Amino acid sequence: MHSVTAIVVAHDGARWLKETLDAVLRQSRPLDRVAGVDNGSRDGSGRLLSEAFGPGSVLSLSRSTGFGEAVHEVVRRLPRAQGQEWLWLLHDDCAPDAHALHALLRAADENPKAAILGPKLRDWLDRRVLLEIGVTVGRSGRRDTGLEPREYDQGQHDGTHGVLDVLSVSTAGMLIRRDVWEELAGLDPVLPLFRDDLDLCWRARVAGHRVLNVTAAVAWHAEAASRRRRRIAVSEDHPRRLDRRNGLFVIMANLPFLALVRSIFRNIAGSLARTVLFLLAKQPANALDEVAALGSVLGNPVRLIKARRARKKGRKQGYPAVARLLTPPGATWRRLADMVQRYLAGEGPVDSAGRHHAAGAAEEEGDELLTDSGLSQRIFSSPGVLLFLLLAGITVAAEWPLLTGGGLLGGGALVPVTGGASDLWRLYTESHHVAGLGSDTWAPPYVAVIAALSTLFFGNTALAVSVLLLGCVPLAGLSAYAATRRMISYTPARVWLAATYALLPLATGVIAAGRVGTALILILIPVYAALATRVVAGSRRAAWGFGLLLAVGTAFDPLVYVVVAILGGLAAVSFGGIRRGVGLSLAIGLGTPIVLLFPWIAGIVLEPRRLLLESGLADPALADPRVSADALLMLNPGGPGTPPVWVTGGLVAVALGALLLRRHQTVVAIGWGVTLFGVLLAVVVGRLGEWPGVPLAFAATGLLVATALTAHRIAEFRAAGGVRRLGALLIVAVAFATPLAAAGLWIKGGAGGPLRGDLRDPLPPLAAAFSPRGERTLLMRPEGGRLTYTILPGRAPLIGESDLRSPEADTARVGAAVAGLASGRGGDDVRTLAAYGIQFVTVPGPVEASLQRVLDSEPALTRMNLSEVGGLWRVVGTVTVPRPPAGSDGWHRTWLWAQAALVALVLVLASPGARTAEQYDDYGDAPEPARPSRRRPRNPEERVPA
Amino acid sequence: MKGLIENRFGLLALVLVALGALYGVAFVSRPAPVPQKTAQKVKTAVESVSMVCPDPAGGRLNVITPPAEQGTGDGGSGAATVEQMKGGKPLASLDKVGALWRQDVPLRTRPVTVAGMGAMAAGLEAAQTTRVTSGAQRGLSGVRCVEPGAEAWFIGPGPAAADVTLHLANSDEAAADVAVMVYAGEGPVLSDRGNGLVIKPGEYREVKLRDLAPSPLVMAVQVTTSGGRVAAAVRASLGEGRGVDWLPAAAPPSTQVVVPGIPGSAGQRELYVATPGEQDAIVQVKAVLKDGSYALKNKETVEVPAGSTTTLDLTTGVGGQAGALVLTADQPIVAGMRMTGTGSRQDVAFTAGATPIDLGSVVADGGPGAKSAKSGGVQQSRLVLSAPFGAATVRIRILPQDGAPAEPVEVALPAARSKEIKLKPPPGSRSGFAVHIVPVAGSGPVYGGRVLSEDTPEGVLLTVQPLAQARTWALVPATAEWPGAVLP
Repeated sequence: MHSVTAIVVAHDGARWLKETLDAVLRQSRPLDRVAGVDNGSRDGSGRLLSEAFGPGSVLSLSRSTGFGEAVHEVVRRLPRAQGQEWLWLLHDDCAPDAHALHALLRAADENPKAAILGPKLRDWLDRRVLLEIGVTVGRSGRRDTGLEPREYDQGQHDGTHGVLDVLSVSTAGMLIRRDVWEELAGLDPVLPLFRDDLDLCWRARVAGHRVLNVTAAVAWHAEAASRRRRRIAVSEDHPRRLDRRNGLFVIMANLPFLALVRSIFRNIAGSLARTVLFLLAKQPANALDEVAALGSVLGNPVRLIKARRARKKGRKQGYPAVARLLTPPGATWRRLADMVQRYLAGEGPVDSAGRHHAAGAAEEEGDELLTDSGLSQRIFSSPGVLLFLLLAGITVAAEWPLLTGGGLLGGGALVPVTGGASDLWRLYTESHHVAGLGSDTWAPPYVAVIAALSTLFFGNTALAVSVLLLGCVPLAGLSAYAATRRMISYTPARVWLAATYALLPLATGVIAAGRVGTALILILIPVYAALATRVVAGSRRAAWGFGLLLAVGTAFDPLVYVVVAILGGLAAVSFGGIRRGVGLSLAIGLGTPIVLLFPWIAGIVLEPRRLLLESGLADPALADPRVSADALLMLNPGGPGTPPVWVTGGLVAVALGALLLRRHQTVVAIGWGVTLFGVLLAVVVGRLGEWPGVPLAFAATGLLVATALTAHRIAEFRAAGGVRRLGALLIVAVAFATPLAAAGLWIKGGAGGPLRGDLRDPLPPLAAAFSPRGERTLLMRPEGGRLTYTILPGRAPLIGESDLRSPEADTARVGAAVAGLASGRGGDDVRTLAAYGIQFVTVPGPVEASLQRVLDSEPALTRMNLSEVGGLWRVVGTVTVPRPPAGSDGWHRTWLWAQAALVALVLVLASPGARTAEQYDDYGDAPEPARPSRRRPRNPEERVPA
Repeated sequence: MKGLIENRFGLLALVLVALGALYGVAFVSRPAPVPQKTAQKVKTAVESVSMVCPDPAGGRLNVITPPAEQGTGDGGSGAATVEQMKGGKPLASLDKVGALWRQDVPLRTRPVTVAGMGAMAAGLEAAQTTRVTSGAQRGLSGVRCVEPGAEAWFIGPGPAAADVTLHLANSDEAAADVAVMVYAGEGPVLSDRGNGLVIKPGEYREVKLRDLAPSPLVMAVQVTTSGGRVAAAVRASLGEGRGVDWLPAAAPPSTQVVVPGIPGSAGQRELYVATPGEQDAIVQVKAVLKDGSYALKNKETVEVPAGSTTTLDLTTGVGGQAGALVLTADQPIVAGMRMTGTGSRQDVAFTAGATPIDLGSVVADGGPGAKSAKSGGVQQSRLVLSAPFGAATVRIRILPQDGAPAEPVEVALPAARSKEIKLKPPPGSRSGFAVHIVPVAGSGPVYGGRVLSEDTPEGVLLTVQPLAQARTWALVPATAEWPGAVLP
């Protein structure tokens, strides 16, 4: 014979209370007694309770009373009744099904040891969604329902006999035996909210009772407190922090000692890791809560000790029964994997632990290429991918000798690529370099970029550089195609734009001359353009990304920054007044490179000539200062690997034609403005004797975008028929003539030039083998009547080492000694060289007879090797390698750390991250406005740059 | 203005105007083509010279550093040392530029190293001349002291025709690993014995070529080192009554070789040509004599089988005429010549392919002078100069052992002509002397040789030393540090 007392605790829950009370009163198993508690509601909840239960059955308590205290109040006043006495605890936002109590009691009958029973909880709004079928907890204090987010209840979790043995059930709908309640002293008032249920059930389990979730009984729960649908009065803390703190507290209070110690360490480490993750996800409030929760539990040992003392009885003996039901340890890793997956799907790195609903994945950028339905089919029918494959095919055909050279890649501006990512990182971070005659110059920042890329390519620098340089045509095409997605809706125009851009004269010139930096910039420029349209629209995140990528481009060629800064300034003037935040976004975009590259940029400002120098070897032979005026106007920078001037004729003709379309005059005019500016800059740069590739790349981008934006008119013309149709065909033919001719000429002429794929290591193996302590090798090469030389530090030079400068005095002395040695005048030139640690002299083959004779007749040198490949001479006697100065440059070290931190910060700010973590929305009131998109609404103007 | 903007063609016109302006700017600013300037080499004084006189015993040793030319200034102080190898007694220490040091060296003298530093290094030259009037070694023989190197070529009679000795000396601090290759009349002689001769620092060694290749009648010898340097010299003794002399170092294989210094006296003339390559060479022979340059009748070409040495008797072609031979071949060749004096007991002399003396040449033993009776009878010294490829003017200066250097004499050499000049000590000096020969700027390539002869009752004693570039100047190339030097 059961006697059930329902206790409904209400606190500002009038929104749900009416339905709850109806449900309680309409139970198929009528209640023996009902009691209501109103914790100082201000919305009439008390009145509703009185109306339903009668004024005599309602208790009014203060606002700050917790749920547990309220129940205690009721139980204390509740007179004993006949038979087995039960308490049915209900929240004001929890409406039980009409048969819920019936099912609960039947389960209690069938399981005599069950002391606590709970219904299956479903969502209040979406009534099919499962919320809880019992709750467990991990050793980290993490609540675990064992359900997928937004899982529909189809009976899939129901127990065989309608019951599940669980660690705990929620207090919402909890049916508990009164004697057990009193034996366990009920809910702990220390935990006014969250995890009080877990604590109670844990204690019940330890005391030998069973806790059951009765899946036959259903209740609908709005979880109003944890979803912040109502204000919490019992504590001022954020519910998230409260939840976390109570979670930790319950775990630490109930675990036996040894497990406790383990748990403390685990939780400290876990909390720190979570804090970092939260920070990365740009959720500083979450991070703070995490730290504060841990701090408040550990920082308040008295409370913890008191709680532990109260739970001392049977804790250790009962623990095995509990441990069985805790989250298994492997779940952490599963959750981590889940999290990474979800991050990749664009949801942000932090799971929605306390929230029981995860949102569906939002539409992501770039998913046009990577869709999940019929992946391969979609990929191969995407014009972008097809274009990429076509360009890759063209590239392979043109670069065949380079790809199959079998040696090192190098030539033009690129030293033979040797070494790995670790070598480059060391070059970037060390304060004293052994290269050349030793140098204290800081390595240029582009070394770090190449090192990072090499790291991505498993430490293989050669692979990274090859992909970047040799693959720059298809990559630039892909980047141009993807970047114009939001600008140009007409796909054929995008294909044309991407193909033309990828096969510009300067692209083939970049490859032939081995300009890795410009290759990267070529790939980045479309991204700049795409990001710039969003920066101009005021997007902060795009601004950080833009700044970071601009810093990368600037590191390779500072001229990029100048061009972008001027264009950005013009954009600021034009758009600054129109949209809010544009100025700040632009400042972020243009300021980031300066901050990230600060000391290096400062060096360039002091030495403006370097502004025009790209990364790599500054070989004057690679640029033609006499590049003709018509070539510059046709976007042809001259130099090795560039096609004849007429190749880009089609592009320029079509772009001129676009000027005649009146409807788009503004766009076309802006595009042409960029082009004219770029060409003007190219003229200046070219006449200063440098390669005008970068300004021309910007010029070409302006021209291409302006033309492609108007290209959909072609479709209109074609539809018009007649002469217009013929004209449209003609325009298309002229437009596509440029990429087709460029591709054809490129394949025919080959991609090589100064760049070769069959280079040998410049350091003879013999010299490398005998340079264990970094003995240097003097490499001399007679070239056009003069003798060029360089000093190798016992290994081949790395990318970026050519930019290091040795002390002038040393350079001059060694230069004089090298000249003397090559003249054969005798004297102590070799001794001078030996004083700088030079152990070997090598001359790449074929060795000039006169130079060979001179070196052979030098008494201080002895020949080790002479063949067609080259000659190697060794300095007789001991050579001491100068020791690098002890101690490191502290300022350099500090700056590197600062730079790393800044890059990490900018990366975090630029990455998608978890957007607004809180969900304030979608519960309760009927007239709730339509759920706003969690994405920032896309500005319609953003689709068009102008 | 408004009309322009609203007009369909307005924007096009504006852009075209802008493009035209840009074209104009680019066109006007296009720089004139800069002629490629070839970097000039700069002459610099040699700072350190060392050489080895292979076997001066019983002969006279001549060492001189010529005085600096006018206008070039002198390079401060310096010193030269003359000492025997393997710790032998130092013979002299010299510090006076322009003064000839000449001494008769006693028998049992070891090879002598001559080393100069600083001012004494620029043009330091040494030569040994030996005169034996009787016995199997009768003859006048001389050699320019050898600068150590990694490669040396000699061409002359083989061990079957003469007693040929290879003198190897290492005056450096690194051991020399020497290989000797012989190209005989029948082809290259393959022998292991010529390989792996290790000469330790400061050591010297004499190698009988008979031990390496006993059979050749004629041969070319290539001495190479695979490590270190060696000073190599070859002495050929043709036997009783046939003469003795050193083989001068020949120019390394080239498709054009000039064999200078053929004396104008009577006697046999035999040309040696070797081609070390793997293809037969057809060599065109042209004589450059006093009256012109021409091919010799019936001796226009010589065919040299690959890897072998061939002779050609030119007695009827150039006998009795001073001059030089210009050999042009389709394969690299090495060439030399044997010259015989007249008389009942003959003496022999050798010359070999030489390089032009663009920067001047110094002959340490220019002649014995009138009073040096002890080591020489009445020797006559002649200079045979040739300008096969273009007219030249040379300045000749006699540097006597005693007294001041003579005033330079200028001699004009017409193109494709040779000249024989008799060398005499300056008036008032009866001592021996050295000769300094410098082509005047703008001259064509000059080749030459110094001929010493002595008439004895039994026949003429003869020795020839082809002129070699003086070690006065080194050409310093323009150098530039350039990290791109690692790229081909």
